[in-house]
Amino acid sequence: MAKSDLQGSLDLLVLKTLAQRGRLHGYGMALHIQRASDELLRVEEGSLYPALHRMEQSGWIASEWALTATGRRAKYYRLTTAGQKRLAAAEQEFDELVRGVRAVLTAAYSG
Amino acid sequence: MAWMARVRNLWRRRKIDVEIEEELRAHIEMAVEDGVREGMSEKEARRAARVRFGNPVAMKERTVGADAALSMESLWRDIKFALRQLKKSPGFAIAAVLTLALGIGGVTAVFSVVYAVLLRPLPYPEANHLAVLHEAMEHLGGMANLAAPDVLVYQRESRAFTAVAGFIDQGYDVTGAGEPFRAQAERVSAQMFPVLGVPPLLGRAFTQKEDENSAAVTLLSYALWKERFGGSPNVVGRTVDLDLRPYTIIGVMPRGFETPTGLGGIQPHDLWVPLSLTPAEKAAEADDLDYGAVARLKPGVTMTQALQDARRVLKMIQAKVPEVHLSIGLRGLREETVRSARPLLRTLLGAVLLILLIACANLANLLLVRAAGRRREFGVRMALGAARKTMLRQLLIESLLLSAMGGAAGLGLAAAAVHWATGVLPDSLPRLGEIAIHWPVALLAAGLVCATGVACGMAPALASAKTDVLDSLREGGQTTGQGRSQHRLRSTLVVAEMALAMLLLIGAGLLLRSFARMMETNPGFQPERTVTAYLALPKQSYPTQEQVDDFFRDLQERLKVLPGVEEVGFASDIPVIGRSSSRLFAAQGYVRKPDEGFSITSNYLTAGDYFQALRIPLIEGRHFDASDDLPGAPLVVMISQSLAKQYFAGRDSVGMHIKVGPNYQYPMPEMRVVGVVGDVSDNPVDAKQDVEMYEPVSQAAADLGPAAAMIGVVGDFHAVVRTTGDPQALEEEFRRTVHSADPTLAVTDLQTMNEILSSTEAPRRFNTWVLTSFAGIALALALLGIYGVLAYSVTERTREIAIRMALGATRADVERRTLRHALVLGASGVGLGLAAAAGLTRYLASLLYQVKPLDGLTLTGAVAVLLACAALAGWLPARRAAGVDPMEALRSE
Repeated sequence: MAKSDLQGSLDLLVLKTLAQRGRLHGYGMALHIQRASDELLRVEEGSLYPALHRMEQSGWIASEWALTATGRRAKYYRLTTAGQKRLAAAEQEFDELVRGVRAVLTAAYSG
Repeated sequence: MAWMARVRNLWRRRKIDVEIEEELRAHIEMAVEDGVREGMSEKEARRAARVRFGNPVAMKERTVGADAALSMESLWRDIKFALRQLKKSPGFAIAAVLTLALGIGGVTAVFSVVYAVLLRPLPYPEANHLAVLHEAMEHLGGMANLAAPDVLVYQRESRAFTAVAGFIDQGYDVTGAGEPFRAQAERVSAQMFPVLGVPPLLGRAFTQKEDENSAAVTLLSYALWKERFGGSPNVVGRTVDLDLRPYTIIGVMPRGFETPTGLGGIQPHDLWVPLSLTPAEKAAEADDLDYGAVARLKPGVTMTQALQDARRVLKMIQAKVPEVHLSIGLRGLREETVRSARPLLRTLLGAVLLILLIACANLANLLLVRAAGRRREFGVRMALGAARKTMLRQLLIESLLLSAMGGAAGLGLAAAAVHWATGVLPDSLPRLGEIAIHWPVALLAAGLVCATGVACGMAPALASAKTDVLDSLREGGQTTGQGRSQHRLRSTLVVAEMALAMLLLIGAGLLLRSFARMMETNPGFQPERTVTAYLALPKQSYPTQEQVDDFFRDLQERLKVLPGVEEVGFASDIPVIGRSSSRLFAAQGYVRKPDEGFSITSNYLTAGDYFQALRIPLIEGRHFDASDDLPGAPLVVMISQSLAKQYFAGRDSVGMHIKVGPNYQYPMPEMRVVGVVGDVSDNPVDAKQDVEMYEPVSQAAADLGPAAAMIGVVGDFHAVVRTTGDPQALEEEFRRTVHSADPTLAVTDLQTMNEILSSTEAPRRFNTWVLTSFAGIALALALLGIYGVLAYSVTERTREIAIRMALGATRADVERRTLRHALVLGASGVGLGLAAAAGLTRYLASLLYQVKPLDGLTLTGAVAVLLACAALAGWLPARRAAGVDPMEALRSE
């Protein structure tokens, strides 16, 4: 059964972003999600940082401090092995959710 | 483990705060930079970023919360949940915590005692290199100390030791340091301090020269220094009078310093003086084995090599006294200090291990029953989507919580027990003062019992987590296959518990019977209304035997006129305290069997009405009287009934003669037997007893004939005063009367004979009490165990019982079946316990008195008690089983 809460979706987005982009700081992730979704999805910073810290505590992502291109200290995150597994599971759950929701919507139209 | 990281975060909250603040600030700064790059002014860009970002403080808090509180909150939630679960079944929780507490507390308390007494290293550096020399004479058997001259030979001739130090206890009357008192002192060689490796705290130790020259110097104990000299550092150089001779204080030993003493053990003393053997001591017969010798092995020398070396020296000694056959033994000092206490400690340790095992079995049982009862709960929760991991975590927390509560209660119990034990343990236990909770063992015991708790708490959960959710629901909480195997496991545990309890019960029974036997034993005298005290006349003020005798005659007259006093007597020893001296003797006309050793008897030198005061019955002949004290009076003795029976069998013993010495041909004077009295217990009544011989003190020297010089002046006596009134009330009067006769004389050990008798009973009273309470605890635990199993089995078989009843079984049938189940469990435990007892009780033999290790009455009693308990434990569940209403039970399914 898929976990279908919004928090789950944010986790998925963060994990996927890190899988695609490797090392990234929180601001970079917010930007990336916004751009990659054609400005459809805007990540709230108020949700992003607690989520990042929660995922780090769960061992899905790891962090370290490093300098940005402009020489600013920022906290960079990367995916751990556990995070890669979690990502695969989350992707599957999300697919199921989408399929399920779509099925319900389709049934509603035809009925 | 991520979970651990979160807990750690709690303690790093400040650091996390700072990091998160920086992370968020970086975010805003990057947003501002991008805004500026897109053409906004910095002010505009910053405002935009801030607006988007929201309240930074609130956000920081939420982020921090994700870090730390998350985990603690859920941990706290789990603990609260576990507490709620335990509160729902308070019977289980209390039983489990009690079981844990008894197991942990008992083991810790007893081990703490055992450790302090038995295992703690001696208070000397490299104490494992210290050994005590023992000589034995063929005819005496057992190891004794050395003859005085031999100490010097070993000092001079042995090569295996860095040094050999001689020692002998001696009491001194101390004057010139407050109220006169009798000091427990020890004469020691100058080498004693280097051998033990302990230098004085103040001043210096004895020199070799002082030892050889009988210098009047003394070392004080720390306690005496504090008590009598106020701990003054100027004490060195002052003088103190020992037996009225001035001694110079040359130093003070450190606090708690102890020296080897008597036969076995180390002890604190009030003060030490040089051994300085007198010419008389150096010339003493080889069979006076009273002088101790402690030695330090040279580095690299083993005990065996040292023993060989000692044997070589013994050959030199033996060459000079070919008529006695000496042998030599060597024992580690540590071994020596714990020998006497070992049987008691071993018994306690064994008993506590049994309790620990019973506690573990009981706890396992409780948890198994509980887990089986909760299978349905697990099933429901899993069906509702609870993760297995979460459930296991909750169970683990529940088990840990129980263990923590039990552990805390156990440690509290241990602390109380240790505190209590130091007050009531018999003084014969060495190093009683050092007993304190032994933390490594407390933790070990707690760990062991808690591990049992956690393992048994988790195992069924793991098992039920593996089973199919639907299965456990379909069963409706009733058990099938798995339930039966669990049931068998629980029954096995209960049987084991019963067997262990049976063992303890038998042990306690044997000790109780021994104790009863001891209380029944007649010590040979009447201790009621009798006061005794020890008086030692200093040789300086009473240099001749006549003066001593005059003093005691005078004291007897003074005491006799006190109101209520009936008889007054004196003797060199009194019964039951076990300090009596012994003599080789030869009875006229007695022929030793070929393999029989020398004849040995306890000997008492008496004055006044000793026998009348103690009410030792005269069986034949007469008491000593004033005519025996006249100069040149014929030598007379009195003997005990068993001496008469053993050595003058079949003949009228009054009028026969006895000599002191190894045989009747020996050139010693004959002493005529004038009276036979009843036997008395020389030693504590539950110990081995000797025969007794009594001599008037006025004849003591003459009795030894040519060896008369050896005895010197006998000046120390135990006074015995019988009164018609309250003996305790007499004590002060007694002290005053003694001081009216000689104001400088110390009155020591002033107490009633009843007090003395009960003090010799104390060790047995103690171990009997301990083992009996252990057996009681074990029985209670076993009772709980058997009740638990039966009660649960009735609950889970309600349906079966209902069907049986529906098919025609009567209530009586059902009740009988359940009771039979209890008795089968009980009987299996009894059988196992008896088998174990047959193999184990002989280890108790050394603690028993006039009771065989497989005493029929005790075994029968234990079987009866245990079966009665099993029946009692089965009775309630049986009643409940019989009360099942078949219709209701079946309908409720």
